[in-house]
Amino acid sequence: MINEAQIITQLKDESKKEAAFNILVHEYQEVLYWQIRRLVISHDDADDVLQNTFIKAWMALDDFRAESKISTWLFRIAINESLNFLEKKKKNSDITSDAIEGLTNQLMSDPYFDGDETQILFQKAIALLPEKQKVVFNLKYFQEMKYEDMSQMLGTSIGALKASYHHAVKKITDFFQQND
Amino acid sequence: MNEEKIIDEKFGNENPFRVPDHYFDEFPQRIMKRIAQQKRRRRMIRWGIAAMMTGCIFSSAFILNNSKQQNTAFEAENNQYIEDALDYSMINNMEIATYLTEAE
Repeated sequence: MINEAQIITQLKDESKKEAAFNILVHEYQEVLYWQIRRLVISHDDADDVLQNTFIKAWMALDDFRAESKISTWLFRIAINESLNFLEKKKKNSDITSDAIEGLTNQLMSDPYFDGDETQILFQKAIALLPEKQKVVFNLKYFQEMKYEDMSQMLGTSIGALKASYHHAVKKITDFFQQND
Repeated sequence: MNEEKIIDEKFGNENPFRVPDHYFDEFPQRIMKRIAQQKRRRRMIRWGIAAMMTGCIFSSAFILNNSKQQNTAFEAENNQYIEDALDYSMINNMEIATYLTEAE
């Protein structure tokens, strides 16, 4: 666990900035990667989005006012970058039943996916969710993030987050019952 | 049954995704390399802008100086023309002064 106050001081010091940022990358790369990967699915896309996340963070370091935790700030950048990526992808191909079938083929041929048919069904159900519900579901279900932290990170009220999660769970179970 | 429980029992919380070997060992090095490249590029852009601005200042100074010299040359040429015109009309300065005094 890093000492946040110490890292922030070092990030503001031009001579220590790069070394402190390197510590940040080591500390948060995995947790950010998995958050991104669950949203964008493929490893190559997750790698691109993770790189963009850290580059954006580096470029915006001078604007970081330490009003929120570094982890919250990095998560926010990572989620925005992932959603921008999905938005661009959606412009090229709408999420239709064909695209969902495409996801099955993509996962089955992905060397970095070890899931069975049930896991593929689960990924398909998540892929069909609207972006916001997808983010909330991933953060709550897989990362067991508290609604308070999520609220600060996404700038959404706790009530709205709970509603999003509830809708997501309902849609996933409906999808499962229809396709099982 | 609670819907969240249905999902949990059916799919669990396991992670079906993997990463290439040594991915997280090598990632920090890759990202710090990109940052170093970014810094170099930014420094070059800054130098480029500084060079362009210096160029603009020197060009402006040169143009201003040149136009001043041209004005001086034009004035000298103009004075010479008047002198020549007076010579050709065979009127000397004394006559002009007398004419101007009488005119008053």
